Parts: sequence; C-alpha cells; structure tokens
Amino acid sequence: MRDTILRGLAQAYENLVHMIADFLPRFVVMLTIILAGLLIAFLLKIVLRSILHLTKLDRISEEAGASHVLRKAAMPSMSEFLSRSLFWITLLGFILLGISVLQIPELQEQISRLFQLLPQVFVAILIVFVGILAANFVSRAALLTAVNAGYRSPRLWSGMVRFVIWILTISMALEQVGLARQTVVAAFSIVFGAVMLALAIAFGLGGRDLARQALERYVGDREKLREKEEEPSPL
Amino acid sequence: MAEESFLTDDLLSQLISVGEVDLLVGIPSLNNAATIANAVAAVEESFQHAFPRERAAIVNVDGGSNDGTTEAFLGAAVQKNSQGRGLTSLRTRHRVVAHCNTHAQGTIFRTILATADLVRAKACAIVSPASPGLTADWVGNLLQPAYRQNFDFVAPLYARQRYDGLLVRQLLYPMSRAIFGRRIREILATELGLSGRLASNCANRDAWHEAAIQESPQILIAATAVGSDYRCCQSFLGAKMRPPAGPPVDIVSAVRQAVGGLFWCAESQQTSWMNRTGSEALTTFGADHELTDEQANVNLERIFELFRSGVAELSPILTTILSADTYAEIQRLAALDERNLCFENALWARTLYDFASAYHHNLLDRDHLVQALVPLYRGRIYSFFLQHANSSAAEIEADSENLCLELERRKPYLIERWKKPSEVAA
Repeated sequence: MRDTILRGLAQAYENLVHMIADFLPRFVVMLTIILAGLLIAFLLKIVLRSILHLTKLDRISEEAGASHVLRKAAMPSMSEFLSRSLFWITLLGFILLGISVLQIPELQEQISRLFQLLPQVFVAILIVFVGILAANFVSRAALLTAVNAGYRSPRLWSGMVRFVIWILTISMALEQVGLARQTVVAAFSIVFGAVMLALAIAFGLGGRDLARQALERYVGDREKLREKEEEPSPL
Repeated sequence: MAEESFLTDDLLSQLISVGEVDLLVGIPSLNNAATIANAVAAVEESFQHAFPRERAAIVNVDGGSNDGTTEAFLGAAVQKNSQGRGLTSLRTRHRVVAHCNTHAQGTIFRTILATADLVRAKACAIVSPASPGLTADWVGNLLQPAYRQNFDFVAPLYARQRYDGLLVRQLLYPMSRAIFGRRIREILATELGLSGRLASNCANRDAWHEAAIQESPQILIAATAVGSDYRCCQSFLGAKMRPPAGPPVDIVSAVRQAVGGLFWCAESQQTSWMNRTGSEALTTFGADHELTDEQANVNLERIFELFRSGVAELSPILTTILSADTYAEIQRLAALDERNLCFENALWARTLYDFASAYHHNLLDRDHLVQALVPLYRGRIYSFFLQHANSSAAEIEADSENLCLELERRKPYLIERWKKPSEVAA
C-alpha cells in the first residue's frame, strides 16, 4: 500500500518534471519570439515613420482635412498613427506566434485564424484613412462649389457627399476583414439605394423649381439668365 | 535656347522657313475663327506702318479649335503697303501655325515664347484675337518700347468701364504692387509686350508645369520681369471692351486663375521681394489708366447674399485661414444690414495677406484656399458699389490709390505671417 502511494507520487513528480522540462523551453522560445518581435516592430515603426515623412503624408493629410479629424479625436498625426499601427500589429503578430509555440491545442486554431486576419486588418485601416482623406477633400470641394454658386444648404450637400464616401469606405473596410460579408454588401446596397432614391424623390417633388432653374441654366436662354444674374466683369 | 523637344517638328520646320526675325507677334487662339482675321489684319497693318523695314512674323498657337481658326488665320488677307509690298523677311514665311494638344494658356504662351527665342526675335508681343478693340496701334504700342527703347516688359494700360476689372483693381494690382514693389496695373492682361531676352528667360523657367501658371502665364511673365529687375514700362492701348458674346462672367474661375497665379509667383520669388518697401512708378507711354462713366447692370442683392452665406457656411475654413481678429471683423460685417456694409481697406489688406500666408504655409489644399476667398471678394466689391454709387472716376481712382498704399503700409504684417513662428522668434 505504502509502496503504491510512493510510486504514484514518484510518477506524479516525474510527470511534473517532464511537463516543466517540456514546457519551459517552449516558454523561453515564446519569450524570445516576443522580445524579437518587440525589436522588429520598433524598427519597422521607425522605418515606416521615416518613409512617411519623406512622402510628406502629414502635409497631404493636413491639406485634405484628415489631420483635423485626427486632432478632434485626440489622435496623433497621420504618419505617427500609421507607424504606431504597424508597431502594434507586428507586435501582436509575434505575441500570437509566441503563444502558438506553447502548443496549447485550444489556442492553436484561434491563433491561426487571427494570423490570417492580421494583414487584412492593416489593409482595412489603410482603407479607412484613405477614405477619411477622400471624404474630407471631396466634401470640402463640394461645400466651396455650392457656396460660391449660391446653392441653398451647401453644408447639406457637403455632408451628403461625406456620408456617401464614409459608407463606401466602411463597407470596403469591413469587406476587407471579411466580417459578415453578405450583410455588409446588402446593408450598403440598401443604404446607398435609399439615399439615391430619397435624393431623386426630393429633387423631383420638393425641388421642381430648382430642377427647372438648373435646366434653364444649361439649355435655356443664356442671355436672359446673364441679364438677371450679372456680376461685374472681374478681369 | 528653349528646350527644342517641347516644340513640334512641324512648328520647327515652319520656323526654318521663317529664319531670324526682329519682331514676333503671338496670337493664342481657341475657337476664334470669327475674329482672328481682324487680329491678323491689325498686326500686319502695324508692321507696315510702324516697322516697315523690320523682319517680322506672326505665330498663331492654337489650343485645339474646331471652328477653322487656323485656316482663318492662314487665309486672312495679306496687308500690303502703298508700294504693294508685304512683310519683309529673310525667308519666305510670315505666318506660322502651331497646334497644341491642350488649351491650357500656359502651354500656349510657352510655345509663343519658345518660338520668339528660336527665331531670335528682338521684341515680341502677345495679343488676344478675342479683344474687341484690338487695332494696329495696340500692337505698335506694345512692340515699340521693347524694340526701340530697350524695355523688357511692356504692360498694357486700358480705359475701363468703372465697374469692370474689379478683381484687377481691388486685388491683383494693389497686392502685386505692394509685394513686388512695381506699379504694374495689368499683370493678367490678354495683351503684353516683351523683349527677346525676357521671352527667352521666361520660356526656360521651370514653372510651366504648375497648375497656377498653366492658368495664368501672364503673371509669371510679369513676376519674372519685376523679380529679376528687367526694365518694365506701361503703354496705353485704348478702351478695354467686353467681348460682345460669350458665357456669363464666372468670378470663381477668374479668382482661381488670377489669385492662384499671383500667390504662386509671390511664393516662388519671395527672396526678391521680402526686403522691398514701397513701390516704384513705371515709365508710361501714352495716357494713364482711365475709367469711363458707363453704368453697370449688377445684381447687388445677390452679391451681398453670396457674401453673407459664404461667411456663414465657410466658417470652419475661414477660421483656419484668417487671423482671429480678421475673422471676427468679417463676421461682424456679414451680420450688418446690407445698406451699412463697409469693407474697409485695412480689413481687406489684412484678409489678402492672411490668405497669401495661409497659401504659403499650405494650411489647406491651395485650390480650395483660393476658392474660399471668393465670398470675401464679393463682400469687398459689394462695399465698393455702395461706396461709389455716385462717385466720379477721380474719386474711385483716389480710393484705389488709398487701397494700394494701405497694402504697402501693411506689408510687414504679411512678412510676419509669411515667416514661420520660429523664424519670427529668431
């Protein structure tokens, strides 16, 4: 009886030692991978930041108004934001790689899924920021055009342009990461279609006079219009 | 010598037939079939009467007309003098046609200047076939100072209807005068004269790819002349009339074209004007700038409404561009009753300088920035109309002079905002 207990304890101890002997090197490998990842992520961040400074991305972002949006959200400049994103994505990748070395079966499958997502997440972030740039630039152009042409509710026009581009951008980003693909496409189609239908109805019913004026402007009596709207010759 | 690859083989072979000339007149065109023959007649008449012994040629640079403009140019009747002689030249050709695959003014002007450089013209003039008042005297008045009096840049002077050309009188002239220190009234004219050496210098500048210069190459020529201390003068041509037909006035395009070009030139030549103070009057041939008394048919209510709505709707953009004081003052104006609006010279000067420095610092996309000036320009001209509803031409002229002096006085403000904060502190 006593011998059996002692054998059992010895066996358990032996198993524990085996497990620790088996686990410890993997844990060290994991730590090494994470530390190497930290170093590589840091280097990549510096390289990307330098490249973005060379391409004057911050200036373009400032001109397009994206920096304004970032400042409002208490975020750093565009080049800093992208380089930090690369740092964290790289580091996260190495952490996941390190954890996979531990060979815990339950984690393996989830980690491999996350790995497949990482590049797509990075591309999605890029899509969102290019979208913000485009939305700000185009909506500001629309605002200036509408104001200078004397259209009513210029901010509404500008806001609609911005809204449509954001919707397009968000659906592209979600499509990129593969989240609820069919739902996103369907939702985008419904929202976009609804906006266009609403505009068509609003313009056709509510804006009959505006439509007539617009048509007159292009195909009507130009001389009559000129007489009515004359501004002094600037040059 | 201008880069030869820029000119087409066809043009180069035509220029071989032309040989060297003393005088060259360039006629840029785009669908001007109805008027180009008159322009050719005016130029040739000028050659016959004012330059009978000089070798002369005319180049028509066409931006892609589809109404037979170049055929009309080549087919225009040859002007002959009393002895039945046509133009004098060492070779056989006197009219040259160049086709550009773009109707951008910059490329067309550059082609004319490069042509003048290649044929070693001593003097060159550029005239617009669309100008209703173009006569032989105009051409002669542009060429004479450059050819006979060694001037390098001949800016035109016109008699204008007193409410026309307000962008020139309220913005381009006062601002270019204050910045560059030379009193050139028309830096965006459709007619101008220049010496061969200035033409050569301009043709070889690196600036032609710039969008602002493609829109308004005349400003580049004028800025090059004043920035490099070429001899500049002004020559009175006559009445500047509006073309009898054409699309309605587009203030937005005009502001983008003129102000974009002016700001770009101010930036590219900042080293030449930073230390200049005051302004220098130029030699003037003929009468001085004149204002005539015709009344204008202007929709003032609409102009005021566009000013007021522009200030309200563009507030996020204007706060980025203007200093806090300037913006607050403009907001106060926009809230006034339309009968009481007075956009004073001092405020207009600060506004223009804020825009120029914002352009320099890239606070916004540059084209957007220039467009944001349009509502404020409308406010200024509305105020001008209110103030000068019953003024004489002399009173209007005196007020314009006050505006110019105000901008000259406030130039240190521009320089302060132009320099980066760190440079100012240093």
